[in-house]
Amino acid sequence: MPCPKTPHLLQEYFSDDLAPLAGEELEKHLAQCADCNVELEALLTSQISLQQWQDQQVPHWDRGLELFKREHRSPSHQIGFWNRWQWLPTAASFAMLTIMVFSVSIASSESGFSISFGGDDEITESVQELFDQLQQTQRREMAELVARVESRQDSNNLQLLQAVVDQTQQATAENMDRVYAFFEQQRLIDLQDMRVGYQQLVESDYETIRSLELLAQFVSYESDVR
Amino acid sequence: MSLIDEDEALIAAALNGSAYAWEKLVKRYESKIYNYGMRLTGNAADAMDLMQEVFLGVYRNLHRFRGDAKFSSWIFRIAHNKAIDMNRRKRLMTASTRVIDGEESDVLDSIASPPQYEPDTQIGEQQQNGQVLKMLSQLPMEQRLIVELKVYQSQTFEEIADMQDISVNTAKTRFYTALKKLKVVSEENHALS
Ligand SMILES: [Zn+2]
Repeated sequence: MPCPKTPHLLQEYFSDDLAPLAGEELEKHLAQCADCNVELEALLTSQISLQQWQDQQVPHWDRGLELFKREHRSPSHQIGFWNRWQWLPTAASFAMLTIMVFSVSIASSESGFSISFGGDDEITESVQELFDQLQQTQRREMAELVARVESRQDSNNLQLLQAVVDQTQQATAENMDRVYAFFEQQRLIDLQDMRVGYQQLVESDYETIRSLELLAQFVSYESDVR
Repeated sequence: MSLIDEDEALIAAALNGSAYAWEKLVKRYESKIYNYGMRLTGNAADAMDLMQEVFLGVYRNLHRFRGDAKFSSWIFRIAHNKAIDMNRRKRLMTASTRVIDGEESDVLDSIASPPQYEPDTQIGEQQQNGQVLKMLSQLPMEQRLIVELKVYQSQTFEEIADMQDISVNTAKTRFYTALKKLKVVSEENHALS
């Protein structure tokens, strides 16, 4: 008749944290019970056999790199239209188009800038009115943008002055580095600010652009008729 | 820099789009996961499938890894779930093919013992591994998983219980039962060799 304690005791034998007292009891029982001893021996043997496993080499695979690269190619696109100054050529060609279509002349004055048509005197008054309106809003927004950049520039200059004063007192290379770092930082902030400004301008001017397009159509229609 | 820190640095870099960091992270764990798969499925093809599923899971969920657990525990939890899924799928497949074959077979039978488990003895250039696979093939999936966690990953019964959603005592009993079953097999093997 096998020992009735075997399952319970051996289960405990393999547990992680055997209490010292329980451990003692186990030792004592194992010392005198052949059944449990034989069983434990066998269990330990199979455990050791299992531990003979030797890690096998992983066959070649792409490690999900293709998927990873495919799905992470997008961030470079996220840098986007504005960050890369891609809007510059677009804006330039748009301006050229406008100038060519209208044969517009642009003159800057103290109040900002003014746009007038070079060619045709017969553009109707309603169009002129519409354009005046556009001009006014554009002038206002442009002025705001310029003012914002100028105020930034002012505070920059103030800090620059301070930095130069400090620098002449202590003309170390470290100071030069700091001044340079300061300017670099300001430059980036200005860039950011200009970008945001232009973006706002263009977004708010979406209607304006549409109106200009309508205007262009109107003008070309007029000249076709004549 | 400890290994854990490095894992976290790699994860952060991978999340930022660094393919190099991702590859390094995979390289660090692929062998562990592949060998885990070998022992659980018994053959290289399934181990490969499992490993790829695990890393796809890791990739898809990397942004959810919060670092309150070790990455190694996290990845093995994913592996554990995938292994169980895979086993379930196989069982269903086997059950249905048996019906198609018109064989007289109780579905419960196929659940009780892992029918698809055919140790890939050709792998046994390392003969010891062949032996281990033969032993493991005698165990139902739930016992095989406990043996895997206890013997190869040195987890405590508490950790195992937590992962398997069973009590600590059940975990201990299953491990004991598994060893007892293996005893017979290893004795047979000794007798044969
Ligand atoms: Zn006994």
